[in-house]
Amino acid sequence: MRLEVKNVVKNFGGLQALKGVSFTIDEPQLVGLIGPNGAGKTTLTNIITGMLPPTSGEIWLNGERVDGMRPYAIARRGLGRTFQVTRAFRRMTVMENMLVPALALHPTANRRQVEQKAREILEFLTLDHLTNEYARSLSGGQQKLLELGRLLMLDPQIIILDEPFAGVHPKLQRTIYDYIRRVREEGKAIILISHDMESIFTLSERLMVLNFGELIADGPPDEVRRMPEVIEAYLGRDEEEEHA
Amino acid sequence: MRQAAQFHTQYQARYLLWGLGALGVLALLAFPLPFRQQPYWLYIASQALFYAILASSWALLAGYNGQFSFAHMAFMGLATYASGILGRETGFLAFDLSPWVSIPLGVLFTGFVGLIIGYLCLRLRKTYLALFTIAFAEITRLVIKAEVKFTGGPNGLPLKPLIDSTSYVPVYYMMVALFLGTLLLMQLLVRSRYGLYFQAVREDEDAAAALGVNVVNTRILAFVVSSMIAGLAGAVFHHFPSIGLVVPDEMIIGRMSLVLAMAIIGGSNSLVAAALGAIFIHFSLEWLQEIPLPAATLQSLEAHRATLESLGFGLGENGLKTNAWRMVGFGILLMVTLRFRQNGLIAPLLERISRRHVLAEIAARRQAFEAAEAAEAAGERVEGAP
Repeated sequence: MRLEVKNVVKNFGGLQALKGVSFTIDEPQLVGLIGPNGAGKTTLTNIITGMLPPTSGEIWLNGERVDGMRPYAIARRGLGRTFQVTRAFRRMTVMENMLVPALALHPTANRRQVEQKAREILEFLTLDHLTNEYARSLSGGQQKLLELGRLLMLDPQIIILDEPFAGVHPKLQRTIYDYIRRVREEGKAIILISHDMESIFTLSERLMVLNFGELIADGPPDEVRRMPEVIEAYLGRDEEEEHA
Repeated sequence: MRQAAQFHTQYQARYLLWGLGALGVLALLAFPLPFRQQPYWLYIASQALFYAILASSWALLAGYNGQFSFAHMAFMGLATYASGILGRETGFLAFDLSPWVSIPLGVLFTGFVGLIIGYLCLRLRKTYLALFTIAFAEITRLVIKAEVKFTGGPNGLPLKPLIDSTSYVPVYYMMVALFLGTLLLMQLLVRSRYGLYFQAVREDEDAAAALGVNVVNTRILAFVVSSMIAGLAGAVFHHFPSIGLVVPDEMIIGRMSLVLAMAIIGGSNSLVAAALGAIFIHFSLEWLQEIPLPAATLQSLEAHRATLESLGFGLGENGLKTNAWRMVGFGILLMVTLRFRQNGLIAPLLERISRRHVLAEIAARRQAFEAAEAAEAAGERVEGAP
């Protein structure tokens, strides 16, 4: 797997949301992406997944240039994502939600086998008792889990998780932790966007920090958290430190 | 034990649905028996099936795919006119084709136009899509009306007869076959992976695309298929010798609104419910034209004829004429449905039957899940106890 983001710029009218962001992910690892609100995290995600065109710059996935491709084509090439606000297909059942990505990726797949795989994933996500329930009947946290389940059905090599812990009950958060570990063990790369610093520092093997559309840090979490510009921009100083 | 009960409920629901379906088909097949001597009601039944095809194919587009189009009657008319023109003996594009050839060609032509309109509508949503399709439908109707030499203008275009019989019985049975055939085709489509794509795109285009669904192709496919089915219904129905003519005013927005209301009252998220809604509404409107009354009641009402007429009613030979009031009632029914039953009046009933076993299964699974949670919590308490 290889995802290359090369000098991506995105302008919205007079506002420059991304100012030449570049990075590469070329091994299975969990990359944390943090930054204050409005730093450009979601814009970057939307550009990588084809939801938005970059103003300039290039996105390469496994040696193929994908910027300018439609989102479905990028998804089929092995890049999956979740959304900050849950976007389950509310008037479809949980099972139907799970079938959509699998059948989009493998149109001729045996439906029974696909359903069996979906059941296994739902069991792992503790949603198996809701298989035939409409997604609209699920709680917010369960809908987040469903979104994660759909991603496993798509089976991408690189996954972008946008705020997976936001507004989720602590018990379901544990399931999401397990999910992330499982995906990581399967040899996939994960970009984890979160404001939950505990999760980010617990899970990440590499940390990137965006601030006002610029990538101001990229490295091991322990190093990044000590960088003055990161502390200034995002993490903040302890009061005691400031007084010292 | 519980599994056996679920299995039992599942098969009960399935048999009930199959039983109801079989009864429905039998009722359709047996309908002409008591009405053999009443061609009027056979004509009304054939027309009801024509509307049922239009309503269910509109439900495929709007209910399943979320594209609220007002161009459905225009596509119906386009296929009919194309078939009629290709079947003419003289004039421009007149190839003297048999209806058995010109109808499929007309339907293909409609599919092609549907492809173009579907593509143009790709970026339009809700109000804008509705307005665009209204404009397309009106332009199509006005062009057909204005092109007197080519289309017959307001007087309509005579069509070659599809069958050599003036009886309504074969007309009715052909409409039954067309109705069941198109319904089966659409059911197969919505139960296939395309049905899942249709619904996923309706629910959230971005999320569907992020999961690998080709949104453009899905939306265009829904538009083309539903347009072609509407075109097929129109072309076949108008080619019957007892009708034999198509006029541009069949494509007016008012007629489109009628089809739309039929689908909404039945339930646009179900093809069968939308079709049943159309049949129910069409028969109700016909029946309401003159509500049959006993002779004694009619006689007593005779004394109030003037009052009734001043209120917009009338007295016929066999009953009370409701004139415009039937449409008022229909409008109120539509408003009540939209306000209180957005899933329609028939679709929830069908869903209750079809999901009976699912609901029982969900309840049982939830119960088991909650019991396991409670047991786990109790175990944790015991472990944590001093």
